Amino acid sequence: MTQDIDAKDTRNAADDPAQPLDSRLLAVLVCPVTKGPLEYDAPNKELISRQLGKAFPIRAGVPIMLVDEARDLETEGSQ
Amino acid sequence: MIVRAMDKRDTSAMNPEIPRLFDYAQHCRNRTRAAASFSEFDFLKTEGALRLADRLELVRRDFPLCLDFGCHDGLLTNHLKQTGKVEMVIQADPTFEFAKSARVNGPAIVSEAEQLPFAPAMFDAVFSCLSLHWIDDLPGLLTQMRALLKPDGMLLVSFLGGSTLNELRTSFAEAESEIAGGISPRAALMADIRDVGGLLGRAGLALPVADADRLTINYPDLFRLMADLRGMGEQNALQQRLRKPTSRQLFFRAAQIYQERYGQPDGSIPASFEIITLTGWAPHESQQRPLRPGSASHRLADSLDTIEHDPQSKP
Repeated sequence: MTQDIDAKDTRNAADDPAQPLDSRLLAVLVCPVTKGPLEYDAPNKELISRQLGKAFPIRAGVPIMLVDEARDLETEGSQ
Repeated sequence: MIVRAMDKRDTSAMNPEIPRLFDYAQHCRNRTRAAASFSEFDFLKTEGALRLADRLELVRRDFPLCLDFGCHDGLLTNHLKQTGKVEMVIQADPTFEFAKSARVNGPAIVSEAEQLPFAPAMFDAVFSCLSLHWIDDLPGLLTQMRALLKPDGMLLVSFLGGSTLNELRTSFAEAESEIAGGISPRAALMADIRDVGGLLGRAGLALPVADADRLTINYPDLFRLMADLRGMGEQNALQQRLRKPTSRQLFFRAAQIYQERYGQPDGSIPASFEIITLTGWAPHESQQRPLRPGSASHRLADSLDTIEHDPQSKP
């Protein structure tokens, strides 16, 4: 695991892309479109906006909060 | 209120009523290309960051949770942290390359200006250093930023405006009208301090202050200036720009005009940059505000130890 991280990233543990997102960041982030809540899917590295029906990717520890980059959620029943 | 209104927006990031001056996608490409070697071209950002950090030093309180929008490689946040007045700064940039390099300072995200992904009233301060001059809807963005602030939270942003690159604009316009018989937009017309001051009040910010600070950088020639602008990710991203490469002939003529008109005895050319800084506060009852007329509890005449005359009666 640690071999994957280059020297620059070991300066600071919070900088490790393998680390979960900072709780203070999660506390303020909302869906950019609906302004509704996001679900943090840590294993899949995604932030899910159920209201919008999209999942925003997290790459190298950076949430990409752009609608164009978000994945459509599979339609799950009526809601 | 403001946030509720945004709830009704559809998925398109673009408000169709805002005139589109800038090709934001092109600006993001310019920014992405600049990210790899930005530290070689960050002198202007550094100037802006030092100014914002100086302002922050003067404020007698701390800001535990802050936002830095348009963070580039995290340079501003680095300077803000050195003041000891900020704790956690969440950094946002429209490009992944910059957001990724900003992570050394703490959390970073990729976000567009028109759809900031933050809950309202969460931040003690919102900062931005030399990024907002690429935003079409500056009033809309300031209103969004204001909504992110807690009561008595501070907005402190700077961007390029006013006389920025006026020599370059003039030289290209003259060269192009000579060679091509017309001019095409080469450098963005800049927001003027007189126009932007009112935006703070419109965005619902109290105690608004707007000021401008000019600096001149000397270059050996126009080509070095253009190379620096590219290095900063600040090259032409105007919607109306010519979508074809600029001819060598035009570059050389513009360089000549620049030299003739603005050149200095040592052969160098000056390039003007104007940094506009806006400060405002989310309203809070503790802030000073004007009293209602007629609400004074003491007579001015008493304080001055004089006699009040009836303005109707001529002395």
